[in-house]
Amino acid sequence: MTSYPVGLTRDLAENRVMRAQAGGVDMVVWRNSKGALAAWNNRCPHRGMRLSHGFVRGDRLACLYHGWHYGQNGQCAYVPAHPELDPPASIKTQTYAVSEVAGVIWVAPTDAQEAIETPAIAAGLEPLRSITASASEAAITTASLQTAFSGSDLPQAGANGLLHLGERQIALICNQIDATSTQVHVLIDASAALSDRRAVSRWCDALRRAAETMTEESA
Amino acid sequence: MSLDYARNDWYAVALAGHMGPGITRNTQLLGTPIRISGTADAPRVTDDTGAERPAVIRYDHVWTTLGDTPRPLFDITEADEPDRRFVPCGAVRVRCSPLRAVENFLDIAHFPFVHTDILGAEPHTEVAPYKVEIRDDVDEVWATQIGFYQPQAAKSATEAITTQYEYRVPAPTSAVLYKTCPPRPEAWDVIAIFVQPVSPEECIVWPWMALIDETSHFADLVQFQQEIFLQDRSILENQLPVRLPLDPRMEIPTRSDMTSVAYRRWLKKKGAFYGALTEAA
Amino acid sequence: MSFTLYNYVLSGNCYKIRLMAALLGVKYDVVGVDFYPGYEHRSEAFLRLNPAGTLPVLQAGDMVLTETQAMLTWLAATHDDTGRWLPTQNATDMARVCEWLGFANRLTSSAGLARLHSMLDWPVDGPTVKAAALRDLQAFELALTDRVLEGGQWLVGDHPTIADIACFPYVALSPDAGLEHDGFPAIRNWLYAVRALPGFITMPGIHYLHELNEAANG
Repeated sequence: MTSYPVGLTRDLAENRVMRAQAGGVDMVVWRNSKGALAAWNNRCPHRGMRLSHGFVRGDRLACLYHGWHYGQNGQCAYVPAHPELDPPASIKTQTYAVSEVAGVIWVAPTDAQEAIETPAIAAGLEPLRSITASASEAAITTASLQTAFSGSDLPQAGANGLLHLGERQIALICNQIDATSTQVHVLIDASAALSDRRAVSRWCDALRRAAETMTEESA
Repeated sequence: MSLDYARNDWYAVALAGHMGPGITRNTQLLGTPIRISGTADAPRVTDDTGAERPAVIRYDHVWTTLGDTPRPLFDITEADEPDRRFVPCGAVRVRCSPLRAVENFLDIAHFPFVHTDILGAEPHTEVAPYKVEIRDDVDEVWATQIGFYQPQAAKSATEAITTQYEYRVPAPTSAVLYKTCPPRPEAWDVIAIFVQPVSPEECIVWPWMALIDETSHFADLVQFQQEIFLQDRSILENQLPVRLPLDPRMEIPTRSDMTSVAYRRWLKKKGAFYGALTEAA
Repeated sequence: MSFTLYNYVLSGNCYKIRLMAALLGVKYDVVGVDFYPGYEHRSEAFLRLNPAGTLPVLQAGDMVLTETQAMLTWLAATHDDTGRWLPTQNATDMARVCEWLGFANRLTSSAGLARLHSMLDWPVDGPTVKAAALRDLQAFELALTDRVLEGGQWLVGDHPTIADIACFPYVALSPDAGLEHDGFPAIRNWLYAVRALPGFITMPGIHYLHELNEAANG
C-alpha cells in the first residue's frame, strides 16, 4: 500500500496531536504518553469535529468538542456527558496504518494492521525540517534543481535520490496534498554543521518560493 | 429545492443601531447579494435586481425575507418588557452551515471543554435527563428541564450555580435560550442567536440578549456574550461535513443530544434543507 | 504598582497584556471598551484618553501607555524580579527581544487585520492582508526552526521573554482568518510551549490545554 510521509518524528512529541493529509484522506496522527503513534480518520463520529484539535489523556485521544475519549484502537471509551455509560462498540473511528522510518512519520489509508511500505532512503541522513508549498510535487522537483544554494551554484542530482548542495547532501521527501499543495520533508547528512543546517533551511524557503512562482506562472 | 423553504423565512441582516442616513450595508442572504439602507425608522432592503424586499425592525435588528409568502416572524415576548436591557452583540462571520451554528447553540455537553471555567468545568460534565418536544401547535422545537453546573453562568453571577435552561427553536436558523437569571431567580434571562445564511456553508451570526441586569456595564455584557460565541467559532469551522447531516446514520448521538436529534428530525420533516446534507437535497 | 487596562475581549493585543499579567501573577483593574459593535474606541471620551483610538490602553497613575509592546516592557520591568522576561543585562538578547517586538507590530497589521476581516467583515482588502499574514507566518516558522536546530524552544535565550508573548496572540489566532498551523510544525510546538506555561490564560480562538487539567475524570 502506498504510504505518505506526513511529518517528522522530532516534531510530534509524546501527548501531541497533528493533522495529516494522505492521498485525499484527512487524518489525525497522535502519540500517546508512552510514545505509541496512531493515525485515524480526522473526524469524531459524534458530531464530526476534527480530532486533530483534540487532546491526549494517557492512552486516549479526546475530542475537543465534547471530550469523548478514544482508545488506541479507535474505540470510544468514555463519554463525559454520561460518565456511567459504557460506550457502544459502534462508536469507533476509522484507524489507519502508521510507522516511523528515518525520522519521518508515514501513514497509509489502509487498515491499521497492514504493513506499509516506505521508499528506500539513503543511509546517514537525518530530518532537517518540513515545509508546505502551494505547488505540485513536479514543480518542487523542477525548482529544486533551479534554486541556487550559495551564490549562483545550483544543486546537483546525485545517486539514491540525493541532492548535492555544495558539500552537503540532502533528500526531499514529498507528500502532494492536492493539485496545488505539497508537503516537503527535508533530510540532511547527519554530519552537517549547525551553520550548514541553517543555510539549507533558508534554501528550503527559496525552493518553496521558486516552486510557487512556477505554479502561479503556469496557472 | 432547499431554497424554497428558506426563502420564506425572515432573517436578521443588519443592526438597527448601525443604520443612518448615507450608510449602506452590502451583504449576502441565501446566495443573493442584498443591500440595506435607510434609517432605523424606515429601513430599506433591495436585492441584486434592485427590487425592494420587505424590511422591518425587530429585536434591535433589520429583518428581511426573499420569499413572496413569508411565514410570520416569531415572537419573543420578553422583547416588550420594559425592565429588560437589550443587548445586540453585532455580527460574526463563520465558515459553517447555518444549521450547524444553531445546533451548537442548543448543546450543553460541550460547555466544560469549549467554555471552560465559564459555562462549565470538569469534572462536572454529566448531562442529566431533560425533556424535548416538537410543539406542533406552534411548530417549534423545545427542550426544557435542563440543569447544568456553571462556574460563571452570566456577567451578573458571583459564584458557581446549577443553571436552569430552556431552549426554543422558532425557525430553522434562529434559537432562543431562556436561562436562570442570577439576580432574579424567578425570571429568565433571554439569549438568542439569529443566523443569516450567506450560503449553505457560510453564515453570519447575530447574538442578541434581553437581560435582567441593572448593574453591569453595557460593554461588559456585550463582551461576555462575544467571548462565549467566539469560543464556538473555531469548533464550528472544523466540523465535517460542513453541511449538517440529516441522515441519522452519519453521526452518532447520545442521550445528551436529544435536542439536536429533535432539531434534525424537525428540519427533515419541514423540508428545511438549506445548509443540510440530505439524500433529498 | 497597580494599573487599569482598557480592554476588549476579542483583541489579540489586549490579550497580550492580560496574558503577561497572568503569567507574572499581577492583579489589575479592567474597563471594558465596546470596540465592536459599539465602536466605543472612536468615541470622544475614549479619544481624550488615547487620541490614536487604539486598544488596549494601560493607565498607571499619571502614566498612560497606548502601545502594546511598551506595556509588555513596562510590566516585565516592574513586576518580574527575576529579570528573565526582559533580558536587559545581555545586549544581544535585548536587541533580539526588541526585534521581535517590532515583528509583533507587523503581525498586528497582517494576521490581526486578516482575522478582523474574516471574523467581523472589517473593511480591508482581505486577500492582501491574508497574503501578508502568510508571509509573516513563513518568516516566523523559519526563525523558530533555527531555534529548534540550535536546541532552543523560545524566541530569545532559554526562558520565555516578552518577545514570545508579543508574537503569540496573532500567530495563535491565524486560523480565525483561515490560516491553519498544519504546515508549520515549529510554530505548532512553540504555541504549545507557550500554552503550557504556568498561569497561562486563554482567549476565544485559543483553547485551554485540557490534557494538563488535574481535575479531569473526577
